[in-house]
Amino acid sequence: MLPIIELGPLNLGSGALLLVIAIFVGHAQFERVARRRGGEALEHRASRCAPFALAGAAVGARLWYGLFNWDMYGRSPGLFLAIRLGDLAWPGALIGGALAGYAYLRLRRMDDTATPLADAAALALPPAQAIASLGLLLSGEALGAPAALPWAVPLFGALRHPVALYYLLAALATWGALAWIARLSAQPGTLATVYLVLQGSALLLLEALRIDSLVAGGGVRVAQVVGLVMILIALWRKRTHTVRAQ
Amino acid sequence: MTFSRNIWDLALVATLLLGSAFIWMTRATSGAVAMPLVSEPTAAQPAPLVGHPAPEFALTAVDGSQIALSDLRGQVVLINLWATWRPPCRAEMPAIQQAYERFRDQGFTVLAVNQQEDSATVVQYMHDQRLTFPALLDSDARVSVAYQARALPSSFFVDRRGIIRAVYRGPMSRGMIEGTVEQLVAENP
Repeated sequence: MLPIIELGPLNLGSGALLLVIAIFVGHAQFERVARRRGGEALEHRASRCAPFALAGAAVGARLWYGLFNWDMYGRSPGLFLAIRLGDLAWPGALIGGALAGYAYLRLRRMDDTATPLADAAALALPPAQAIASLGLLLSGEALGAPAALPWAVPLFGALRHPVALYYLLAALATWGALAWIARLSAQPGTLATVYLVLQGSALLLLEALRIDSLVAGGGVRVAQVVGLVMILIALWRKRTHTVRAQ
Repeated sequence: MTFSRNIWDLALVATLLLGSAFIWMTRATSGAVAMPLVSEPTAAQPAPLVGHPAPEFALTAVDGSQIALSDLRGQVVLINLWATWRPPCRAEMPAIQQAYERFRDQGFTVLAVNQQEDSATVVQYMHDQRLTFPALLDSDARVSVAYQARALPSSFFVDRRGIIRAVYRGPMSRGMIEGTVEQLVAENP
């Protein structure tokens, strides 16, 4: 692990540093993919929508983290506004970013481009997620359950599932699958649907191996619930399109 | 058309049921965080090593009070050897403060053992950084020697029985601190 990177007088948390890099990469990739798939018009809309989606993602990530750490955040509500890059939760970022981006497009009467932009986001998010997962790996976050496996990593005195590495591989696999499908299918919405299924499955399965998950009542891991909902949304969308097409 | 819709409806319901069952079966239980960090300690001699009783010390805190490690038996203690002039020590302090706020009510405390700096410097730093855990003054470096602190920061996680369960030399991330503390506070005394 390399939790702190020393650069001369600067001490940078590796998790926070890679998160910032991930955001930059994701943003640049979003606009690049939009241009490739929809020309300058879609790129223009992507660049106008992105700041709102990013702001929504930041708000959602912090709200999600705070609400599921209410014992601490309830006592100190100022923490909701504190600059703590570790206090962010991916499901909240995804939901907040999607809602804010869609709300912006609706308000600007540009919601006809919501589906192609969702496809562009589906291709842009996996590399950003892979970089952010590398940050989790370096900083020792996403602590895995003890495991007697050849690839288990020693952490806190026990061999454990490298959950951050699993998330990294899941992001790369999703990226590869989507890049392949993007070449085969021009059907709008396909990439976003596949993204929801693959990343929903990753959340549902991999979160079960973590021991530091945010939990709701009864010990239910909220990220798993989000993962299941993502899969259901994708199936519902596919069902609607199939039935309509017949 | 009806057939296709029925198939999709079946797939949706099956996914919902199977997914929900999986989530329930893999829900977090208190046992999941209470996994032992290391095997049961076998050594009885105090030493700054994992599995050994933490070497005893008593120091003066910056508020003038005396704090002995043995007074904290029954609590999970993070002994953090540090100095205000060391950038890596400063880098990890916000994460330590956060863990302190989060787990204090569950019997976790921090002893920030400052290395040979004057009280005013330490008080000013703690105040500026809004650090609220106890800061102790290791004026003659006796704790540093006892804990063989070759590098600053050095951190020792002591369980409720007074046994060192994890040692980190160098800065720690928030995940490292909270991952360790979360497991130790879940253990019974």
